[in-house]
Amino acid sequence: MTEVSILSLVKRYGTALAVNDVTLKVNHGEFVSLLGPSGCGKSTTLKCIAGFETVSDGRILFDGHDISNREPEDRDIGMVFQSYALFPHMTVAGNLAFGLEMRRVARDEINRRVADVMELVQLSQYAGRYPRELSGGQQQRVALARALVIEPAILLLDEPLANLDAKLRDEMRTFIRDLQKRVGITTLYVTHDQGEAMTMSDRVVVMFDGRIAQAAAPEDVYDRPASEAVARFVGNANILTGTVEAGADGAPGLRFGSEGTLLRLPAALPAGTAPGRGLRVMARPEQVRLTAPGAGDATGTVVSHYFNGGFIDYRVRVGADEIMVHAPTADRFADGAAVGLAFDAGRLWPLEGAA
Amino acid sequence: MSGLFRRHFLILPAAALLFLFVMLPYVNVLVMSLRAPSDSTPYGEGFSAGGYVKLFSDPYYFEALGQTLWLGVLTAFVCFLLGLPIALHISQASRRWRGLLYGIVLSPLLVGIVVRSYGWTILLGNTGVINATLRNLGLIERPLPLMYNSFGIVVALAHVFLPFMVLPVLGALQGLDPAVGSAARSLGASRFTVFRRITLPLAMPGIQSGAILVFVLAVSSYVTPALVGGMRVKTMTVMVVDALIDQFQWPFGSALALSLAVSAGVIVLVFARLTRMKWK
Ligand SMILES: Nc1ncnc2c1ncn2[C@@H]1O[C@H](COP(=O)(O)OP(=O)(O)OP(=O)(O)O)[C@@H](O)[C@H]1O
Ligand SMILES: [Mg+2]
Repeated sequence: MTEVSILSLVKRYGTALAVNDVTLKVNHGEFVSLLGPSGCGKSTTLKCIAGFETVSDGRILFDGHDISNREPEDRDIGMVFQSYALFPHMTVAGNLAFGLEMRRVARDEINRRVADVMELVQLSQYAGRYPRELSGGQQQRVALARALVIEPAILLLDEPLANLDAKLRDEMRTFIRDLQKRVGITTLYVTHDQGEAMTMSDRVVVMFDGRIAQAAAPEDVYDRPASEAVARFVGNANILTGTVEAGADGAPGLRFGSEGTLLRLPAALPAGTAPGRGLRVMARPEQVRLTAPGAGDATGTVVSHYFNGGFIDYRVRVGADEIMVHAPTADRFADGAAVGLAFDAGRLWPLEGAA
Repeated sequence: MSGLFRRHFLILPAAALLFLFVMLPYVNVLVMSLRAPSDSTPYGEGFSAGGYVKLFSDPYYFEALGQTLWLGVLTAFVCFLLGLPIALHISQASRRWRGLLYGIVLSPLLVGIVVRSYGWTILLGNTGVINATLRNLGLIERPLPLMYNSFGIVVALAHVFLPFMVLPVLGALQGLDPAVGSAARSLGASRFTVFRRITLPLAMPGIQSGAILVFVLAVSSYVTPALVGGMRVKTMTVMVVDALIDQFQWPFGSALALSLAVSAGVIVLVFARLTRMKWK
């Protein structure tokens, strides 16, 4: 169990900044996801921790020891690559034994530990196969087992599920998470799939352009995003722009849309929010309810709807805005129908910064 | 039948060419090697195995066969020793450098083989550049034996055939996922261990084909051994030409040529067998 501290990490390629002043602490046994769009510096951050890239500035500490200049083989990490990077010329057992051989573990113990880890990832019957003779999911499990068998202090995973089909990806998510809990290993997990980050992590770190935009528990990132960019990247978000006004009962409201609907706002508003000021508020599509016209907080017209199994995704035009609504299949509205929209006042999230 | 045809018809032109210009000539050589010798004409009436008897009973010829095959093995080995680092280097070079390095590796092929071999005689001869320089510096009194021996031939052949080792090895290395090396490092392997346990075995398919190419080319080369080996070291190819053109003994020349081809083929097969990779 190891605690990882990244202090003001900077990584430059030439003049381009791949990682720009990242500071992050990962606690003992914590599962932290790095989430962000392509090219935002997730892999680079991981490579710096693993030692495959030298840091341009800043420091990386494992349990308080600066390891920024240590060779990768001396860092005691287990790493799973997006491409799996299995050794094609070694059997499954050979791949799994490699790290233990490097640690000069005795042969009997190697055999025992390899057998144990194969059991753990349910690959025992494939011990003698070469990587090219395995399916994608099996290769993925070998890659995971190879990183785990050396019992590293830290587990680093770079989009390990990106090459799997949706069903297998779901299975492997649970599998990895359960395993990580059982083994209790400090884990950094890179992904650009927000669902994956949400379901697996203790904490999600959202990165844009080499910087951390928000580092918080999954619910906080989802319900209380630090910025509009985070709100839009993590899940779908309706951003309502309007002016703050006091309602009839004195509680703050948001006047938005061309019809000038007044929305009740939650009690806690960002500092500096005063009547007359512009404000942007986030409402998740599943936090909006469709009602009979006139019954909700606003009225609009259904533009389109898509059936997606358990739910229907509506787009509703309200004035100049289009609002996404993720509604149960029990509520059915045809395209062009007039509907009412009811917002969940307690869960509207005012975004920082002026509108 | 038509299914069989449809599946294989694309190789028909190549197969026809091979049959006409490789298989038939080989059969012709085989027949010729069994013709009776003659003093007045290239070959006489009737058949005889005399050519083969002469080859295997006269140590002069038999040793030349061994010597030729040995030079081929040596050349392949030297090309491996020189070519592997070059291929490793190019595979890790940036895109900009890679083109230039490719060009340098291929450059020996751009100069005609006769010119290149003459070049080596100018460098390696008794009064050649190397010996003259060393003598002028007072480092040696008698010229070093750089030419008219196996050393000179191997040096010149390795120079010519190096690209045939570098390119297949490079092909094997460039097909590798760079993350494989990183994975080995993360598991605790030093740079050198990564080379020994990962890079080298994974380059093996390229090394294997490169070695076979260089060996076959070296064993069958004529101009370089003829010029650099001179009268002193005679390889089989030189003897074949002697027999066919100078002595006008077509049956014996054919027997020499065929024996070289068959023994080289056997060596290639044994080598391929020994270096077979289960994981491919
Ligand atoms: N070796 C390199 N040389 C130059 N620039 C690089 C290099 N590696 C990465 N970069 C740049 O650094 C930035 C961050 O790259 P990185 O691989 O960390 O992105 P990422 O967040 O992992 O993206 P993805 O989700 O696509 O894997 C990118 O703009 C990329 O182009
Ligand atoms: Mg990446």
